[in-house]
Formats: sequence, C-alpha cells, structure tokens
Amino acid sequence: MHFAKAAPEAKQLRKQAGTWLKGLRGKAGLSQIELAQHLGLKYYTFISQVENGFGRVPTESMEAWATALGVEPAGFARHLLAYYDPELHRLLFEGKP
Amino acid sequence: MNILPFPRRFDPAPWGRWELKEVLGACADSISRGEASGWEVGSTEAGDPQFYLLGPAPDYECLLSISRVGRVYVLEDGNGRVLIEDNGLVAMAQQVRETLSRKKAAFIARIALAWCVVRETIEDKAEAMFAETHEVLLHFGPQAASLI
Repeated sequence: MHFAKAAPEAKQLRKQAGTWLKGLRGKAGLSQIELAQHLGLKYYTFISQVENGFGRVPTESMEAWATALGVEPAGFARHLLAYYDPELHRLLFEGKP
Repeated sequence: MNILPFPRRFDPAPWGRWELKEVLGACADSISRGEASGWEVGSTEAGDPQFYLLGPAPDYECLLSISRVGRVYVLEDGNGRVLIEDNGLVAMAQQVRETLSRKKAAFIARIALAWCVVRETIEDKAEAMFAETHEVLLHFGPQAASLI
C-alpha cells in the first residue's frame, strides 16, 4: 500500500527539482534574468523561488519553460512530475501494463 | 566603441532585522492559526534577498514570497503572480495581511460550501428513505393489521 508522501520528502523532492532546473538553465547558458525574460515574467524572483525548491513550475507554463531551456516539453514535464508528484509518475510511467 | 560593464548600483544586502520584523508581523496571525507552517529566507542568483511564507504540511509549499530587488519590494504568490511591487515595506506588509486574510476568507467559503453540499445530500437521501418507508407501511400495513 502506498501512503501519501512524507513531509520532508515533498520538500526535499522540490529542492531536487530546483537543482535539476538550475542545471538545465546553466546548460542553456541563461541567467535567471534571461530565463524570466524568455518566460515573459516581469521579475526573475519566481525563477529563484522555484530553483530554491520553494515553488513549482506551474503546469500551464511547463512548455514555455522547456522551450526556453531548449529541452523537449513532454520529457521535461515527465521529469518534473517525478519530483512534484512521484506517486502519479509511478502510476503513469513505471507501472506494469 | 568600448562598452564598460556598469556596476550594480545597489549591492544586495541580506534581510535587515527591521525588515524581517515587519514581514513576520504581517504573517504572525497566519502562522499562529496554522494556515502557514513557517518561513524561510533565501536569495536570487544576483543575491537579492527572498522571504518565503510556507503553507501547511505535508507539502510546505510557498504561499507568498517577498523579494527585495534593488530598492523595490516584490510580493508574489506561489505561482509567481506579482501581487504588488512597492518601494516601502510598510505598504508591502499591509498587502501581505490583506492577501492572507483573503486566503482565509476563501478557505472558510470553501468549508461552508462543502458543508451545504453534504447537508443537502443527506437531506435528499433521508427524504427518499422516509418516502420509501411510508410507501411500504401503506402497502403492508393493512395486511399486517388483518393478521393480528
């Protein structure tokens, strides 16, 4: 039986997602300011919020983030789902048919 | 033509004690009521200080974030929506209070709505059950009475 994710785990996974996103941004050669500009954000503070593990990339802007970071959107969303909702990711992508 | 790198006009300093006091004062009610579980500080890549108000367990997600960018304070929600930008922290703290009280009002409204739905469902089911019982009594009552 699978129980709801434990508190420290959810927080920890968001931090890991933030680190992963920061790595992608580094590979894309973008600063937080430049990424925010690509996403049409007035401030780059939200990028920092997400990279520091306190916020999530909103579902509706995942495609824009992926495009800005130069990665394929579906794979990007799937990878983020593993951090943001590991149980759903397991059911969708790791379950046996 | 040579382009000289223009130095940042303001070196970002970490949160000052008075700044944190002002912000925490605005969040105190939410934290004491358990609508927020706590807070943390961080900074942007450029060193601008950030304050994160965290939601309840189990996710501890960011409810509000306050950043100081240059001389401007920026208040954002957990989805990166800019709620206010102001040069003064007092106005910012007031906005934090208002935003948090709106969140509380929305929470109470959701609870009230859920309660109304549950009550209506129970009433509908009870009404149907009583109607059925009444019908059964009408049908079998005379027969049972004739047996006595």
